[in-house]
Amino acid sequence: MLFNSYEFIFLFLPFTFFIYFYLNKKHLTEVSKVFLVFASLFFYSWWNIAYLPLILVSMLVNYTIGKELSFHTKKQRTYSAKKLLTAGIVFNLGLLGYFKYADFFIQNLNRAFHSEVALWNLALPLAISFYTFQQIAYLVDSYRQETKEYDFLNYAVFVTFFPQLIAGPIVHHAEMMPQFTKLKNKVKNYYNITLGLFIFSMGLFKKVIIADTFAIWATQGFDIAKTLNMLEAWTTSLAYTFQLYFDFSGYTDMAIGIALLFNIKIPKNFFSPYKATSIQDFWRRWHITLSRFLKDYIYIPLGGNRKGDVRTYMNLFTTFLLGGIWHGAGWTFVLWGILHGFALVTHRMWQKLGFKMNTLLAWFITFNFINIAWVFFRALNFESAMKVLKGMFMGPLVFPSVLTNDVISLREWGLTLGNWSKLYGDESMMGLWFLAAFIVILLLPNSMQWKKKFKPNYFYMTLTILFFMSIFMLYRKSEFIYFNF
Amino acid sequence: MNLFTLIFKRIRLTYKQYLTILFSLLGMIVIIAISYVMYFSKHYPLPITNYISLDAKIKFIRENINVDEVDTLIVGSSLGLNNIQGVYLEKVSSQANHVLNLSVYGSAATEIEGLLELSDAFPNLKRIIYSAQYSDFPHEWYYDNYNPKLLVKYIRDELNPLEHFLLMFRACNNLFFCFKRQSEWQTNHMMKNKFTYLGFDSTGSVPLHIYGDDIIGHRWRGAQPNIQNPKSFEAVDRMSKRAYEKGIKFYLVQGPYRGPLVKKHQFVREALSHFERLNSKIMKKNNGAFLSLHKLLHLEDKYFADRTHLNDKGSILTAEAIGKFIDEKEK
Repeated sequence: MLFNSYEFIFLFLPFTFFIYFYLNKKHLTEVSKVFLVFASLFFYSWWNIAYLPLILVSMLVNYTIGKELSFHTKKQRTYSAKKLLTAGIVFNLGLLGYFKYADFFIQNLNRAFHSEVALWNLALPLAISFYTFQQIAYLVDSYRQETKEYDFLNYAVFVTFFPQLIAGPIVHHAEMMPQFTKLKNKVKNYYNITLGLFIFSMGLFKKVIIADTFAIWATQGFDIAKTLNMLEAWTTSLAYTFQLYFDFSGYTDMAIGIALLFNIKIPKNFFSPYKATSIQDFWRRWHITLSRFLKDYIYIPLGGNRKGDVRTYMNLFTTFLLGGIWHGAGWTFVLWGILHGFALVTHRMWQKLGFKMNTLLAWFITFNFINIAWVFFRALNFESAMKVLKGMFMGPLVFPSVLTNDVISLREWGLTLGNWSKLYGDESMMGLWFLAAFIVILLLPNSMQWKKKFKPNYFYMTLTILFFMSIFMLYRKSEFIYFNF
Repeated sequence: MNLFTLIFKRIRLTYKQYLTILFSLLGMIVIIAISYVMYFSKHYPLPITNYISLDAKIKFIRENINVDEVDTLIVGSSLGLNNIQGVYLEKVSSQANHVLNLSVYGSAATEIEGLLELSDAFPNLKRIIYSAQYSDFPHEWYYDNYNPKLLVKYIRDELNPLEHFLLMFRACNNLFFCFKRQSEWQTNHMMKNKFTYLGFDSTGSVPLHIYGDDIIGHRWRGAQPNIQNPKSFEAVDRMSKRAYEKGIKFYLVQGPYRGPLVKKHQFVREALSHFERLNSKIMKKNNGAFLSLHKLLHLEDKYFADRTHLNDKGSILTAEAIGKFIDEKEK
């Protein structure tokens, strides 16, 4: 079930909300948790019930291992505990590898050895990347004695809680479980409801109105056009850059808003990432819970920055390479991870050398690097990525015909004037969308800043209503991009 | 302090008050939206499919056609919608007494196959006339979000109130699209001299009143390339076979093509004969009938609105020829 669908907004969410709090009001707290788990699994199964056994098995295995691990005290971190943790991680990665990477592996094997091993054509179970990471974190935390013991029901609530089940944010056991057990959170909280509705409506607006509009142009350029001129190629890449941000941050806002209705605070995932002035800054603002996971469970265990410069660079690079692979089974994702790894290493060296850069220039370089790297992230294959990149850097330059009077003298230099965006139709309308998007990402407060400023007055009520009006444009009921990862 | 700040920012509400007012306003908006959708569905075609001419036709059938009486269906793209006047077919033929033109602008053969799933709405159907030309055959297209079973129930007015309500709201889930359709309806679809004209006659056909300056030059002068997708012929094969299995006679009618273009271009002649050859074969195999109006009528330019579309005078001649052909075949 999609957050941006009538069945979710008008049926599932109100029904779940009222039953949950009704049960709690009647002091049936355990029953309310059971209900929440069932509601979440129903939400999950709406796409395809075939995925349900997998998540149940995964939960059961991880809970059993986690519980076993948490029995060992610090002194008892014996060989057997380590072995158990390794087994748990191998189980999770094995699951992920089997469903997500098996065909990719076979394809490459076939290519390398000219063999013809048949592909398995496995469907990727929804949310597997997210719940697998969340549970790996749980196992490691259990091993580090950072989790308290909870029963399976609590664990099931932690893993399946529907606002964050499909595409995160990736949450820690320690930050969620106390919230589910706190008695205060069992009672309806009007402050959280008003705030939750505001944040949810903002996310809905970002997804339905902004992201889905840019999606049309991105799809046109990436998937339909055979060649692109320079402006078309830049339009395509920027359209995807905006689409991805508004889509994923819109989803996250909706998740945060829904969780707030249930008095649960889930961590922020975005903080104006396109305002970043360095690649390191970007990763502190983009998909924050993934960055946190990569840092805590890959970068630091690899040695972090404690083992000298070269190891630090290698660790950084490896972390982001793995981050790229996590996003998808394809060489374009690997390359995207490599690009970000290199960028982070370069930035680290730059800092080490004590160089400084003008803030505006730093932003410009960072934004463009991210924009270019997204081309690999979005393209279905290398050919498609190269088509866009070739257009961006070597495509013919066709200027909009409205500029005829201003730049006509440049014609002798090979400049073409005319319908530069044959691909997209209305140039002026599109220009306004891009301008608006730049204003939103660079000048306006982000949703987390809006959240802080929120007051129960008519201004915020008007905004909430206007954002909610997006439900009248749900015809493009498209899935969220991160559901694919 | 200005009025805006005073009203919007200074007046603080309790959270309970805030929620009460918010939900009241949202409730009102939803009620207004529901009322608008009901008004819209009464006066304009609901956007149920991705073709406005199909949406309009569904509305037309629900309001004007006795579905139990229909014995003859005309299907096709504009070459079905514009090129055969159902009224004249009824007049000429002794067999085709209740004609419905179900054609949809721009439909490919593969889409017509989907369109014919709506034939379940007409229990006394005896014949299907598919009017096409080779230019309908290059693409393998399918209707988006197309649910023929639901549409059959909708056409026959057999949806329960909840299903009907849901269909209306799914159709209008982009309210702004409905506003747009409403505002453009008169200018884009109710002006006789446009190729988007949707003023149906009593059988659902659309006679074109396009003459002189309203004729589009490049459509008049240029011939379409000879691209005929095997998938289109496969679709014809399946639909004619299915019709035969249901005891419905299937006619494939090849529309006229402007003579000067046929004379001028070798590839047009090849395209016409390829189209005729393959479809005749399919019709023979599935007990259907093939009729080339191009060969039969040799229409002059005065009957054409462009290279393949006929004007209202031309579409009478084709209807009469088809009527006679049907009578002959079903003697």
